[in-house]
Amino acid sequence: MKSKPVVMDCFSTIHTSYILDFRFLTNITILTGQSATGKTVSFSFIKECMSLNPDILCLNYLDYQKDILKIIRKVQGKLIVIDNADILLNNESRKYISLDDRNQYLLIGRNPHNLFATKENMFELVSRQIGEQTRFEIVPYL
Amino acid sequence: MIIIYKHKKDMPQELEYVELNDVFFNQNTVSRLDDRAKKIVECVDGSKMISKYKIESKFNRVILDIDCLSTGCKTVLNVLYYPDKIFCMKECGDNALEMLYSLKQGRVYSEYAVIPFELEKITVMVSSETENRVIEEYEELKEWWENEK
Repeated sequence: MKSKPVVMDCFSTIHTSYILDFRFLTNITILTGQSATGKTVSFSFIKECMSLNPDILCLNYLDYQKDILKIIRKVQGKLIVIDNADILLNNESRKYISLDDRNQYLLIGRNPHNLFATKENMFELVSRQIGEQTRFEIVPYL
Repeated sequence: MIIIYKHKKDMPQELEYVELNDVFFNQNTVSRLDDRAKKIVECVDGSKMISKYKIESKFNRVILDIDCLSTGCKTVLNVLYYPDKIFCMKECGDNALEMLYSLKQGRVYSEYAVIPFELEKITVMVSSETENRVIEEYEELKEWWENEK
């Protein structure tokens, strides 16, 4: 499903020697790929920004006991970033996300089931070393 | 070979199911790590295990706590060191899955197919209510997973 991002077209941040520079092309971005590409560490950098940026909501396995659907139903105008999405999201919350036009999603996981996602929603992380710095970007997943 | 379950009801009741591989690894598996873990950490994460609790990051060679391993790598290590428990395999990337499928024993669960694209050799035991059977072909494994029974 290709729909334009409703909250932000890009997200950039710096965490010590790490640079995150994400360009969003769709409202639901599924960040997938091999293990150990830096997905979870990127999540932690975005979560750090949540302390200053009210437009960001981050959820991961530490929220396992919470009602994720209840949380995301209550908010609007947020970039909702969910790590461990394959564990945290059930069918009901996936269907809600697929139809939610008030929030934008960055889902870190591998299962696109019930999100009405197409290959246009699937992205992977690439990293580049620039001197002592590491730059993370997202690119379409082939 | 590893044993795969696709329905929670098929899991032996006496075996614990672990969904949060990160938490289980950080609290339990870490204390059992030995030389066997070094190869897995290097193959899956591209990191070097420099002591029981430290790894060298592949990105900038910074020394990190071992809790920074990927969830996929932690899952493989959980399965390796706790063959009497069943671990969720859904958070494994293809690189972790290739290592997972090569383990001599262990138990994993996913209700949908989780098979790496470039797996050269498969030998797994699939376990369901009606059968326990060895599968050695990619297509047969995919079919088993997609079959509702």
